[in-house]
Amino acid sequence: MSAQTEKQHPAFYALLVLLIMMSVGPIALMFINSFKLDVDIISGTSGLLFLPTIQNYETALCDVLPYELDHLDFCALKFGGAFINSLIIALVSTVLTLVIGCMAAYALVRFRFMGRDTVSGSTLMVRMVPPAVLLVPVFGLWNNEFCIDKASWLGSLIRDNFGGRGDVCLAGTHSGIILIYIAMNLPFVIWILQSFIVQVPRQLEEAARMDGAGPFQVFFKVVLPLIKPGLAAAAIFTFRIAWNEYLLASALSDRDTKTVPILIVNNMSEFNVEWGVIMATGMLLAIPPIIFTLFASRQIITGMTAGAVKG
Amino acid sequence: MRTATLNRLTPYIFLAPAVVIMALALLYPLGYMIYGSFRDWDPSQTLGETEFVGLSNYFYLWQDASFRESLAVTLKFAISVVSVEMVIGVGLALLLDRSLRGMSVLRTLFILPMMIAPVVVGLMWRYMYHPSVGIFNRTLESAGLGSVDWLGKHALLSVIIADIWQWTPFIFILSLAALQSLPRSALEAARIDGATGWQQIIHIKLPLMMPVLIVTCLLRLIDAFKVLEVILVMTEGGPGLSTEILALRISRTATEFRELGVAAAMSNYLLMLLLLLTVAMLAYNKFQEMRADRARRIAEEAV
Amino acid sequence: MLKPFKSLRLTLAAAVLAATSIGANALAGPYDEFAGTTLVVNFPAHPHYNAVMKILPEFTKETGIEVEVDQLPYLKMRERQTLELGQDEGDYDLIAYVVFSKADYVYADQLENLARYFMNPKLSDPAYNADDLIDGYVYNIGFAGGAKGYLQGKTGSLYGIPYGSETSILGYRKDIFEKHGLKVPESYDEMLDIACKIPELEPGMGGLSSRAASGHHASHAFLLHLAPLGGRIFDDEWNPIVNNEAGVKAANALKTIVDCGPKGASSFGFGEALGSFLNGDTAMFLDTTVVAGQIDDPSKSKVVGKVGWAMHPMGERRGSQTGGFGIGIPKNAENKEAAFLLMQWLTSQKGDKLVALAGGNPSRFSTHEDADVNAKFPHMKTFGEALKHADPDWRPIIPVWGKINADLGTTLSKVLTEDLDIQEALDGVAERTKGIMEEAGYYTWK
Repeated sequence: MSAQTEKQHPAFYALLVLLIMMSVGPIALMFINSFKLDVDIISGTSGLLFLPTIQNYETALCDVLPYELDHLDFCALKFGGAFINSLIIALVSTVLTLVIGCMAAYALVRFRFMGRDTVSGSTLMVRMVPPAVLLVPVFGLWNNEFCIDKASWLGSLIRDNFGGRGDVCLAGTHSGIILIYIAMNLPFVIWILQSFIVQVPRQLEEAARMDGAGPFQVFFKVVLPLIKPGLAAAAIFTFRIAWNEYLLASALSDRDTKTVPILIVNNMSEFNVEWGVIMATGMLLAIPPIIFTLFASRQIITGMTAGAVKG
Repeated sequence: MRTATLNRLTPYIFLAPAVVIMALALLYPLGYMIYGSFRDWDPSQTLGETEFVGLSNYFYLWQDASFRESLAVTLKFAISVVSVEMVIGVGLALLLDRSLRGMSVLRTLFILPMMIAPVVVGLMWRYMYHPSVGIFNRTLESAGLGSVDWLGKHALLSVIIADIWQWTPFIFILSLAALQSLPRSALEAARIDGATGWQQIIHIKLPLMMPVLIVTCLLRLIDAFKVLEVILVMTEGGPGLSTEILALRISRTATEFRELGVAAAMSNYLLMLLLLLTVAMLAYNKFQEMRADRARRIAEEAV
Repeated sequence: MLKPFKSLRLTLAAAVLAATSIGANALAGPYDEFAGTTLVVNFPAHPHYNAVMKILPEFTKETGIEVEVDQLPYLKMRERQTLELGQDEGDYDLIAYVVFSKADYVYADQLENLARYFMNPKLSDPAYNADDLIDGYVYNIGFAGGAKGYLQGKTGSLYGIPYGSETSILGYRKDIFEKHGLKVPESYDEMLDIACKIPELEPGMGGLSSRAASGHHASHAFLLHLAPLGGRIFDDEWNPIVNNEAGVKAANALKTIVDCGPKGASSFGFGEALGSFLNGDTAMFLDTTVVAGQIDDPSKSKVVGKVGWAMHPMGERRGSQTGGFGIGIPKNAENKEAAFLLMQWLTSQKGDKLVALAGGNPSRFSTHEDADVNAKFPHMKTFGEALKHADPDWRPIIPVWGKINADLGTTLSKVLTEDLDIQEALDGVAERTKGIMEEAGYYTWK
């Protein structure tokens, strides 16, 4: 509050330590357990005294490791494949959402289509829609309506080149999952970017236009570089949702397009709860968001507060 | 001439992809869902093959004790989660609003729980609540306090605690941002007048933060109705229906009971509930803006 | 003089040649046409099918048919199959289905009738010896259209073959029972009595490990007690009688077991229940035979060598579980004939023995008596004995069972955690079941 750093009560620091322990503790616990064998986790004789092992990670990643594992009879968890699916889906949907969202936000601001109110209103409306509500229609549409007849030329082209059976439907493909993620994230991205684009001085764009730049050039060469912080915040939020989402992905993916969250939920199988391996998969899923948080916490906070504090 | 046309078309070209995607992947599905909620719909049928049953899915749900219980659980969950989080979050913000070295580190650590996948949050807590392996019961037992049947007899409470852990930082960060954007002058004035810390909080800080707090609260409330994965992983809605929130019930009705029509009707109920909240929030925002406008106009006139 | 010899040699050579070529033909024969095919199969993540995963490479080596396995948790697997089987052309060539899915799939005409495969001389192995398959399982899992629609009867036929079939059995800690001079329970009263004595005798230890988690698990645990105690879900006219005296007794038994069980028992799924037994937290385990392979696996179990097996205790009657999985060929599969070959190979005497040795559950009488299998798994004999009492009408396998099962499971979970009155709870189940049955048309002929 005041400029000089005040002397704080010792209890205050104790509280701080407690808070940090509470927020990071569970994650640390998961991290530690992911290096323990199941026997150590279950017997739990000691918290920190154990022989760390990477066996859980090896088990999880058995399908992409170059060497055979002695402790496994067969590779049941295909984590590597799921990780790649998750990466493809999260990255592609983030990039596409940003590009599409940016263009739309720019058009809304510069060409005064709708007021900011309308946009923030519809953003909220979309934010309100729970993924569970989309489950039924998306499941029906992606499986039955958004399909190309396999007898049509495009359908047969896809079937001949990529294999698979039946009509070519969005369900079960990466694109199907990407499409719904873009739709879910677009309003938020447009809304965030709008507030950044508004701050770009008009004169800069006019000057570029004087130099003979077309509207696309103006957008890509002048506007985009100036709203980088906004893009970063938007990118992290989009990535986070696409990376973490479970429900819709589980309804839309097939055996080749499973993402990591699906794998984790499936692996909490009723016959054998292998804590060590589950913790390892959880840790692998959590790493990208943790990295983002450590390096871009300011952007995240910007994105989070943009909603409420600025109104 | 061509460039002129291009220029005129530019905004449409810029907007087109977004509009197309939103229409195709969001509005159309929502319409499809509303249409489907009036039909007797099995997953093996396409919507065209289904039979029109009018409002019977909606009536069926009203008579369905499980649905009513699930609705009650959802409300209980959302309300308790949001109120506890508001109190703790705002309290911490007031307490930690000081110039501290390392404050940014603190904030970074606080947002970690929000960034991690809900599925992972669920599994961490499921592990910690485990009756014999989990850290809570281990600690309680080593302290000689006996053990608690977390996910059995106290499942809803356990789920609420996990959500509080994950989302209190959201409220904390928003309230901290609000606190730090308060006008310095008002606070200075209060201090000069000799107001105590408590007086400052109650008479100045809280009233000034109120608009942000209400928006935060509503945002959180909306999100609380969307929680699904954490609970799915921790309890799968059980025991009984004690943690079966609506989102989970929808997903079970669709995939396990295979009644897409009923699931669609349930989705619609949930959507209406949320719509009500959202409209309330928008109306509140509008009202605030008008009040701010009037205040500014009065101020300008005074000058 | 030499001529005859020469000609003899020639004939000999020709004979040898002919013999080898016949031999080659016979070896390459049935699988030849399908070598190089890749089958996509859907199996559950389940101990038996983990054992199957170990023997699949053997199949590929022998036949040249590749197998790609999509392993899912078994309740998830059912959702996936519902979707896949409903399409015009599906991904899966062979599926393992949970026993109660039989009704759904056969009723929706989604599984191939196996008659035309067993009739096909090119596909059907004359040495298959179908008589050796355990009758109860065949009728329970593979057979449809007989009495009540799901039992043995003259009007039925075969849609699948039991594979990974289970019955219930009582596992107990020999060391604990010896220490306190306890007798292995043979009746329900004895079992419940011991279950509640254990926590007093061995502080911190639960009596009997049972699943109880909301939904399928609670319902399953209840059914385990319902049949032995003389109860049924329906009478012969499809009237729900789950709320009669036997039903209440079964629910009471479940409640007693959970109350005297290990801590946290009311939220145990199958994995947790088994886990607590493996970890030495409970003295008894009453559930499927599928766990036997893990009990003696030192990397998973702390009770290696300490567990004895006994028959499911008797109440009014013997009535152990019939359950587990069967394998069948979807109507919309791409490589049905190769899928049949895989199915036949897996369930043949040889395949059954291989999977039993790998830790799976055999489905043939001969495998239960096989010397090698018994040498490796001494409990196999008790299991074979238990099979004789497996009750084919253990649960109604009808298309609406999924819905009734879910309701029963949720309601029982409330009994266990919220102290809902048992009679009242079961009356509610019976009433709602009646409604479901009415709607499904079971009372049309009354």
